Amino acid sequence: MRILFLLLLLTAGSAHAHKPSDSYLAIGVEGAVVRGQWDIALRDLEFAIGLDTDGNGAITWGELRAKRSEIEAYAFSRLKINSDGKTCTTANTEFLVDEHSDGAYAVLRFGADCGAREPAVMEIAYSLFFDLDPTHRGLLRFERAGAVQTGVLSPERPRLAFKAGEASALAQFTDYLREGVWHIWIGFDHILFLVSLLLPSVLILNGRTWNPAERFRDSFWDVFRVVTSFTVAHSITLSLAALSVIALPSRLVESVIALSVVLAALNNLWPVVSGRRWAVAFAFGLVHGFGFASVLADLGLPQGALLLALVGFNIGVEAGQLAIVAAFLPFAYAVRRSWFYRRLLFAGGSAAIALAAAVWFAERVLDMKLWP
Amino acid sequence: MKPRWAHYFALLLAAFGASAAPFVPKDDSVILETLPIRAGDPAAAELRRLRAAAAAAPGDPGPAVRLARRYFDMAMAEGDPRYVGYADSALRPWPESAATPAEILVLHGMLRQYRHDFAKAMADFDLALKSDPGNTEARAWRAAILMVQANYTAAREECALLAANATELHATACTAYVDATTGRARAAHETLASALARRNDVEPGFRVWILTRLAEMAWRTGDLATAERHFRAGLALGVDDNFILAAYADFLLERNRAAEVLSLLKSWSRSDTLLLRLALAARSLKLPEGEKHVRALSERFADAALRGEKLHLQEEARFLLDLTGDSRAALAAASENYRTQREPRDALVLLEAALAARDAAAAAPALQWLESTGFEGTRIREIAARVKALGK
Repeated sequence: MRILFLLLLLTAGSAHAHKPSDSYLAIGVEGAVVRGQWDIALRDLEFAIGLDTDGNGAITWGELRAKRSEIEAYAFSRLKINSDGKTCTTANTEFLVDEHSDGAYAVLRFGADCGAREPAVMEIAYSLFFDLDPTHRGLLRFERAGAVQTGVLSPERPRLAFKAGEASALAQFTDYLREGVWHIWIGFDHILFLVSLLLPSVLILNGRTWNPAERFRDSFWDVFRVVTSFTVAHSITLSLAALSVIALPSRLVESVIALSVVLAALNNLWPVVSGRRWAVAFAFGLVHGFGFASVLADLGLPQGALLLALVGFNIGVEAGQLAIVAAFLPFAYAVRRSWFYRRLLFAGGSAAIALAAAVWFAERVLDMKLWP
Repeated sequence: MKPRWAHYFALLLAAFGASAAPFVPKDDSVILETLPIRAGDPAAAELRRLRAAAAAAPGDPGPAVRLARRYFDMAMAEGDPRYVGYADSALRPWPESAATPAEILVLHGMLRQYRHDFAKAMADFDLALKSDPGNTEARAWRAAILMVQANYTAAREECALLAANATELHATACTAYVDATTGRARAAHETLASALARRNDVEPGFRVWILTRLAEMAWRTGDLATAERHFRAGLALGVDDNFILAAYADFLLERNRAAEVLSLLKSWSRSDTLLLRLALAARSLKLPEGEKHVRALSERFADAALRGEKLHLQEEARFLLDLTGDSRAALAAASENYRTQREPRDALVLLEAALAARDAAAAAPALQWLESTGFEGTRIREIAARVKALGK
């Protein structure tokens, strides 16, 4: 038996050439209704129960169809769906075919009767093909009310449980909302851009010098215009990018964001734009939106709850922004006449922001050279 | 940096989503799947016989070993990991312990290395050698794993120990392979080629293996005509072998002979490693099926990610680098791959990815490997020089 052995020498480590054996099990829960779809490779079914009845090496639809009940019996004796400790009874509804990247699969659609109440804990116990091929895996996709969870079933981990609310739509929405707030708080470039635009809002440009604003109302509406146009602009691009309508290289986006901060801060020191700061906020807001989108892309968007996640993230970003504005405006208005505000915060702060952002800009553009 | 999982996230869900259109075939005669072997083939008859024998004697290692070995050979020829799973299942009654017969331990080790669990595979071979010190196969596998880990001193020792029990050709092949990787490709080629010429009773599978190695050695030293001759001689033997096909396809791609790759591999799109070469060839010829292959590959990598497997990082790095153009993700995959696998082509993809991402620091382990081994290879040296120039 040792004739072949050196043939195998030095092939170590380069042999995993095919896709291994997987089945795709999708289970969806809507209220008390549980439905599923199970895609099983014909190659695996052929090995387990034999499909090629005429032995010609080709599996036809006729051969597959003739084995339908045998396949369903074989598969469902190796899958248990439990709802709150009780076993659900499955009923086959459709028998179809589909192509995956490695060949044809039998598609078993089924309903599961788990009682009249919405299940709180669903448990999937899976043992398909584990006796024949311990490297087989069941790739599970569990969906409840638009929220999707995935899992891998293996001989080492043949059971997976999903609790209601674990990834309910509301929980998912709050997750993304929290991520949105968090991103504004740790995203210094967005905060500094906003602050650069807010700093002059309690002042009024007179010729080339900034004087304190006379009425809170004016300052408030100024801030309102700036923040609203920033919000509207970045919501537009965030949505477009998240829905893959537009894609921009992230280096470019990050560099322009840094540049926007530099320009906004410099505009405070050497005013070019004053009355139309909302327009600046809008224009650069479009770019900041792409920045938010890349964060969202890294988080991953749930296919089934795309809109929900997007809205949640957006609202989170707005809430984070509003918190900054709410803290900033009354304070700035109160101290707007002081040397502290006009020299230190306004002039010194703008200069510091411009400097910091210039460093970011340089870093990001430099990165662009290093990472084309 | 955007993590690689994010890259695949959409595809991951698309693995389910893309199959949102299951269908009812239009009539019974529609062929859904073509099997690699027919029930009437001698190979299928042999498998049936082996399975029946193993089932009839559940406690007997003999039939189980024969069945597992047959499956393992099929996995190697076709590159289908299913057979490795079947082999695993045949060996299930025997745990990996000192009481288990050496021949079973060797198989356990082979299956382990297939899954890149090199440490445990080495332990299995060690255990086998304890009870059967003359087990040449366990020796050869140890040498193979040490080569993948770029531990050439230890690999050379295994080859020397192999000489005591194996044929001269086997021992020569082992040493020549180490020599060819450590800067003596020309001499290694000469020694191995003349050792092969002295024998005319070499089993075809082993001959293919030797010819593939000889071709690589000649290619490495720039003797392209000789490399081509070895590849053709190996292919002419008509043995199904993923490795010679992959190596020859790489050779052709490097020589800008993509059209020949398409005809060489046209019936091999099931194999990930060969589908990658098909995609590269189709892309370089700007053929529409190139994009189809690229999509199929992304889906397979997404499935592997979902399974939590990292078995073909080298291919994944190559895919990301040459087919999706995402040099940073490619560099991440190539670096991760190089932590466990250090064969010449692992070093090559790391250097190429580092060059594309303009990150000389990431290429340091491969540069160091090139320096310390004195590995020949015009192309890899040229790329290494360009990577070094980045750092200046």
